[in-house]
Amino acid sequence: MHENQPIIEIKHLTKIYRGSNKPAIDNISLDIQPGEIYGLLGPNGAGKTTTISILCGLFNPTSGNVFIDGKDYTHSAESIKSIIGVVPQDIALYPSLTAKENLTFFGHLYGLKGKYLRSRINECLELFGLEKNANRKIKTYSGGMKRRINLIAGILHKPKIIFLDEPTVGVDVQSRNVILEHLRNINKEGTTIIYTSHYMEEAENFCTRVAIIDQGNIITEGKPKDLINSKKEYTDLESIFLQLTGKALRDE
Amino acid sequence: MLRLLSSIYKEFLVLIRDRAGLAILFLMPLVLILIMTLIQDATFKTVKDANISMILVNNDRDSLGEAIREGLIESKFFEIVEELDGKKITEEMAKEAVAQGKYKIGIIIPERATEAIRGNVNALINKSFKTFDVPGVKKRTKKSTIDIIIYIDPATSYSFKNSVMSSLKEFTSQLEIKMFFKNFSLALADMFPDQKAVEFESFETIKYKEIYASTTNSEILPNSVQHNVPAWTMFAMFFIVLPLAGNIIKERDEGSAFRLKTMPGSYVTVMFSKILIFLVVSFLQFLLMLMVGLYVLPAMGLPQLEIGPHKIALALLAISSGLAATGLGVAIGTIATTHEQSSTFGAVLIIIFAALGGIWVPIYVMPHTMRIFSQFSPLNWGLSGFYDIFLRNGDILTVLPEIVKLLLFFAVMLMIAIGYNKLHRTK
Repeated sequence: MHENQPIIEIKHLTKIYRGSNKPAIDNISLDIQPGEIYGLLGPNGAGKTTTISILCGLFNPTSGNVFIDGKDYTHSAESIKSIIGVVPQDIALYPSLTAKENLTFFGHLYGLKGKYLRSRINECLELFGLEKNANRKIKTYSGGMKRRINLIAGILHKPKIIFLDEPTVGVDVQSRNVILEHLRNINKEGTTIIYTSHYMEEAENFCTRVAIIDQGNIITEGKPKDLINSKKEYTDLESIFLQLTGKALRDE
Repeated sequence: MLRLLSSIYKEFLVLIRDRAGLAILFLMPLVLILIMTLIQDATFKTVKDANISMILVNNDRDSLGEAIREGLIESKFFEIVEELDGKKITEEMAKEAVAQGKYKIGIIIPERATEAIRGNVNALINKSFKTFDVPGVKKRTKKSTIDIIIYIDPATSYSFKNSVMSSLKEFTSQLEIKMFFKNFSLALADMFPDQKAVEFESFETIKYKEIYASTTNSEILPNSVQHNVPAWTMFAMFFIVLPLAGNIIKERDEGSAFRLKTMPGSYVTVMFSKILIFLVVSFLQFLLMLMVGLYVLPAMGLPQLEIGPHKIALALLAISSGLAATGLGVAIGTIATTHEQSSTFGAVLIIIFAALGGIWVPIYVMPHTMRIFSQFSPLNWGLSGFYDIFLRNGDILTVLPEIVKLLLFFAVMLMIAIGYNKLHRTK
């Protein structure tokens, strides 16, 4: 464990959706240190998206607390929102607007403007190989291009923390590599990354630490290497995952 | 400020790139107002001054027949047809033509009708002046009746038939009176030769003058244009509920709303910019409809819209109506979970509001209980405000209650949306 102040503290977090008697997440506690790439792993319906949604301030937990950079949403929602970047699972952009128009709009909402915003947009588009399609409407983009532009919209304002919900779902190998490589670069510049995935191999290489969640509980947590070495029968993250969460199909 | 401007610009782009949506916003009310006004004006014209062809068989060929013929032509209600294929129409032909529906109406003035009237008049004069021997007036006391036969197409509407009948009755009775006095004065002139015969041109002492009750001197009659333009303007303005709610739901479905919620200060900014853009749209709709009333409808031969002298009151009322509509749109867009829900519910709700509000059926013909309900329709508030301004020269003070009601409605709708959003955070 690091000694310094965690950038994200999750304390006894529980969320029970209205009309449901089973908690989506059940008394989760986690500390995430600055500069980490933290993976929240788990099968479908484990509670990953619920956790990330609460971390992004989308809705309130039933009980428990979340501190981001030492602040909580009840008191300083606005200041938290300005230091986080969110890359949602869905393409959260306006399809009838061009890439530039979308990014300019979101940039303005983050308080960026003028020359700086323009050069930042161009820089990001170039970084992700989209500069030639800057003036095309998003609805004409391919799946991989949409993923990349969706990612740019979340990192445009150089946030301290980035939340990514399944950023590589349904993406070809090329796009996935570009995405992961740039996320690594961003992380090297000091940005903390929290990401959910169910690609175990990707997480094993990408994350500095992971937590495996199932049915709303954290089953295990730690550095991927430490976890793999903790038991003889573990060969990689996937084997841990399958051993801990079982082989039954998960729908809900 | 930059955030707001950028949001407004974004909404503007989203709106203008949705060509179909734009067309619905501006073309639909246009088509609606033209169709509704033309339909209602046509019904109005059927009984007033539309040219309806009518068969006239004048077997009399004397004063009465001529007078009826001239009266009908002069009235411009009817186009008189007396010949078919170059042949004079007989009673049989007329009956057949009407029966076949070729003509709506056929009038047969019997032979010697004028003679019969003269006879009746003379009989009356003889009766009145029994003691005198009036030369030139035949000694007759027997009265005879004249039957003018009217063939009517069974498919003719009751109101049309009635109006034709009453017009005919008016002609004939005027004519009878005229003839009576003419012969009467002739008879008198014979009795008192030093007295000059008086010509009775017209004998209408009692006339009707229709004036619509108004607090001022202006007499703008609520014709189909005066009703339809404000009514369908309100309807169209409230129909922006559908694209607005659709816009909100689409933003949520596409995921942009999710992103916006994770960004600083954006929910209010985004909602505000939506309201502003759609308010502008509704105001443009209002101006468009006004232009239609002022320039397009008159060009189509309909009366021109009279908008009264208080333009500022009019603009304020339009803006308040627009706000009420956008408020409703925001509330529906926030609460509805799917597009189908919002468009079905929104459309039905507006149609109910319109029906209650007197957009289709004027409020004064509604039963009493329904009139109470109509007080709850925001479309009614707007419409009665427009009536105040258009028909009664109302100013800002006159329409203030309506404006306040519309603004309150807007506020309540916003509170519902905001409240629902708060609730949603703790789902």
